[in-house]
Amino acid sequence: MDSDQPAGEVPYGTLDLMVLKTLQVMGALHGYAIARRIEQVARGSLALNQGTIYPALLRLEQKGWIASKWGVSETKRRVRFFTITRAGLRQLAAEQRAWARTVATLNRLLEES
Amino acid sequence: MTVLRVLLARLRGLVSRGRADAALDDDIQVHLELLTRDYIHRGLSSRDAQAAARRAFGGVDQVKEAYRDQRSLPAIETFLQDLRYAARMLRRDPAFATVAIISLAIGIGASTAAFSVFNAVMLRPLPITDPDRLVLLQPQRRGEEFILVNPIYEELRGRQTTLSGMFAANDTPYLKITFEDEPAPAYVHASLVSGSYFAVLDLTPHMGRLLTEQDDQLPATASDDRCAAVISYRLWVRRFGQDRAAIGRTLRVGDSRCAIVGIGPATFESHQTGFTPDVWLPLRPLTDRKLLASRGMAFFSGVMGRLAPGVEIAQAEEELTTLYQQAQAAQPQPPAAARQPQTTPADFTIRLASGAQGFDKIRRPFSTPLVMILAVVGVVLLVASVNVANLLLARGAARLPELATRAALGAGRWRLVRQLATEGLMLAALGGLLGVGLAWMTIPVLTSQISLGYVTLTDARPDARVLGLALALTVTAAVVAGVLPALRLSRTTLQSGLASGSRTTIASGHRLQRLLVTAQLAMSLLLVSAAGLLLRTIVHLAGVDPGFTPAHVVMLNVRDEAPQPSFGDVDDAIRKARRAERYRVLDERLNSVPGVQAASVSWLGLFSMQDLWLPLIDPDRADDRPNARVDYVSARYFETMGMQILRGRGFRDTDREGMPRVAVINQTLARVRFGAGDPLGRRVALDYRGEQQRPFTIVGVVRDSKYNDVRDSRPNPMMWMPIAQAPFPISSISLRTLPGAEASVARRAEEVLRATDPDIMVRSTTTLSAQIAGKTSRERLLLGLSSGFAALAILLAAVGLYGTLAYMVNRRTREIGVRLAFGARGDTILRMVVGDALRLAAVALVVGVPLSLAVGYSLRAFLFGVTPTDPVAMAGACLVLTIATLLAAYLPARRAAAVDPIVALRYE
Repeated sequence: MDSDQPAGEVPYGTLDLMVLKTLQVMGALHGYAIARRIEQVARGSLALNQGTIYPALLRLEQKGWIASKWGVSETKRRVRFFTITRAGLRQLAAEQRAWARTVATLNRLLEES
Repeated sequence: MTVLRVLLARLRGLVSRGRADAALDDDIQVHLELLTRDYIHRGLSSRDAQAAARRAFGGVDQVKEAYRDQRSLPAIETFLQDLRYAARMLRRDPAFATVAIISLAIGIGASTAAFSVFNAVMLRPLPITDPDRLVLLQPQRRGEEFILVNPIYEELRGRQTTLSGMFAANDTPYLKITFEDEPAPAYVHASLVSGSYFAVLDLTPHMGRLLTEQDDQLPATASDDRCAAVISYRLWVRRFGQDRAAIGRTLRVGDSRCAIVGIGPATFESHQTGFTPDVWLPLRPLTDRKLLASRGMAFFSGVMGRLAPGVEIAQAEEELTTLYQQAQAAQPQPPAAARQPQTTPADFTIRLASGAQGFDKIRRPFSTPLVMILAVVGVVLLVASVNVANLLLARGAARLPELATRAALGAGRWRLVRQLATEGLMLAALGGLLGVGLAWMTIPVLTSQISLGYVTLTDARPDARVLGLALALTVTAAVVAGVLPALRLSRTTLQSGLASGSRTTIASGHRLQRLLVTAQLAMSLLLVSAAGLLLRTIVHLAGVDPGFTPAHVVMLNVRDEAPQPSFGDVDDAIRKARRAERYRVLDERLNSVPGVQAASVSWLGLFSMQDLWLPLIDPDRADDRPNARVDYVSARYFETMGMQILRGRGFRDTDREGMPRVAVINQTLARVRFGAGDPLGRRVALDYRGEQQRPFTIVGVVRDSKYNDVRDSRPNPMMWMPIAQAPFPISSISLRTLPGAEASVARRAEEVLRATDPDIMVRSTTTLSAQIAGKTSRERLLLGLSSGFAALAILLAAVGLYGTLAYMVNRRTREIGVRLAFGARGDTILRMVVGDALRLAAVALVVGVPLSLAVGYSLRAFLFGVTPTDPVAMAGACLVLTIATLLAAYLPARRAAAVDPIVALRYE
């Protein structure tokens, strides 16, 4: 992605996918670390209100795709660490495939017309 | 799956609210700290870093809000909040809450119970596949119900093509059966059915097999006494303890020996709601052959068919009518009755009614009373809901300052409406729950009232439809009781704000309240006047002189189960003499039972279900032959019944075979037959086979009496003959007892029967009074319910009126204080309040009286001795309403009159 472009909104529904992918790659993380990681990977191309990660985490937890347990932060405080579950891995794989298909379809469409 | 998991997680979130919020707080805290630390590392000052961290994080409160919405179900959360608030408000005023909940519970409970019975009688389809394809065949002659005789039934059955099958049924609650391992016979409930019965209903046996066409063939030889029987699941459980060996056992039915071939399905009781047969038997082998071949009534219960696939009901009706008319045309028509045109085949039609609910033996007589009961309970529910609405309004008015404060603090109108509506909903929900409980308790009581002859509703358990209705009623009650006042009050609140002195808005809220109270009073008047009409009816019915003395008479409904001559045959002299002797011995023993004043046996008896007329012949005069109701009775019959002999004599023991044949007639027959002439010594014969040439000489005249319905206004011509001279099989035994001896006499009489003549089997034991009352059971049912509910409605209306007046007096305390200060007297104030109440009642009467007249008119089929516009009932209802109004007004009026002007003026 081109970092000269102005930072875009997080496309609807993709935050969940990004969180899952991050947890798959990085293992157990707390909310701040997840947000940082997504921002780093996006290299400033996404304007993420970091707070929005928490409703997303809750949503994923309710769906059973991630799990949380208490841990200690770098600042020695109690904080929740999130890990991806097996169901979450399955979901991630399925969404990755779907995403790839969508992108491929869009690319073809954009190139042909 | 995921959807369900999310829902569960959210429901958990609803419960574990505090813990989840704390976790989020921790997370956000750490997040902000780490962000700040980052910014400090990048060189920002501690303050700037904190600000930057907050910006990057986004709005903490928005995040928390979004998190909360995600965590649980926000709509439910607000709702729960409203509920908690409503519960607090209700707890603060328990008297109000109790009155409101109980009135709704009664309204909803009564409606649910009534509908549950209505559902069981009128709506519930037979538990079989495609009940909607079943049709009832209703033969009609000139549009009136007519019988279907077996030969024509057979012809229709053989030729029709629009039904995939049809069957006839003959239900009897008293079929004499002897189980092979038991010496004594017993009565069982039986259905004699065509061989196609189980196929048409599409039933499968619980075990063994069901009856088929082969079972329903006439036996080839007279000596073939074999037949097949299917016993019900209930009988199998009750008598055989679910023993598989029941199949193969035999039952003796009349001359036949029927082998049990199967157990009926556990889920199916009968084609007739309220009748539970113990055994199904094939109709043809067990019905008299001659009867089957004749134009006599071979099946009393009815005929049903299943529409062939793709056939519409009208098509089948047309075909069956055509075939029916052809069959009638092929038969010689009976001679026309007096003053009636000769019938032609075109007079006959077959109407098809839906058979989805089975045969209609109780459906027809009870549909109107049940609809009326539904209407009554509906009105009660309406009154109850309006009452609660009214109470909420009154209370709401007192809460105006609170509501106004909440509105000022930013609660939107919708929020206030929702809050108030939640209170209504909570009341309705509690009322609904309690109501369903009430219904559960009252359904059995109501169910037992739905009874006619051998059919008694036994099962009216609420099903999904009933519970759905209860829910719908609760919601409706919630809307009426909660939402309407809520809309009203919220408007008032937002208009008037905190200024509680705003007279116009309060007056308009007040107007609505007065309107509701008036409506309640008017609706109560409907119920009270209906109850009044029915009460007058019952009083009239009780006051009717039946022409005999019903008190202290025990009645035994019996059958002589000794072998009878077959259909159309007459007994020979020896058999007649033998039967006459049996009855003589029985009569003698019954008369010597302790406690008996007089006893008699008779062919029919009074107030049996029979209605038999025979034409009479006057051997001395060959003109037209009047019909009379006849009976054969033993010597002390008139004494037993308490019938007064006006001329001549009653019967004596010496009136027996070999002596001159004698008869007693009643006044009406004497007048119809002999006019002003002396009937004593005149002769009449019955126009009946074997009787035409054997006239009876009239020896006595008794006072006119009712025959089998006290409502029968025309006196019936009646005639009695000694059973000793014409020993027809008895069906009724009556015993006049000493007062209080009824129960012991009934017991002793049954013992005497068993000891003297076991062939005479008792079907039921009752009293003559009960038998008479049984004929007006529907009126009594309606009276009981309508008077109970009328009392309830008027009570509710009085409570509503009381609430409104009390509120009004409260609002006007200051004005009253001013008046008193200027010299008005207490009783003037008292009159003012009472007068106000009476004005409301007057409006209610103006509206209610015409409506009540309409209600009375719709009740007319159940009225006796009163017209629908009966002034006594109407005036009584108006009086009751006025008294209730005065009682409700008295307390608030007293309080108003007792206002202390000083205190009142200091108020506010």
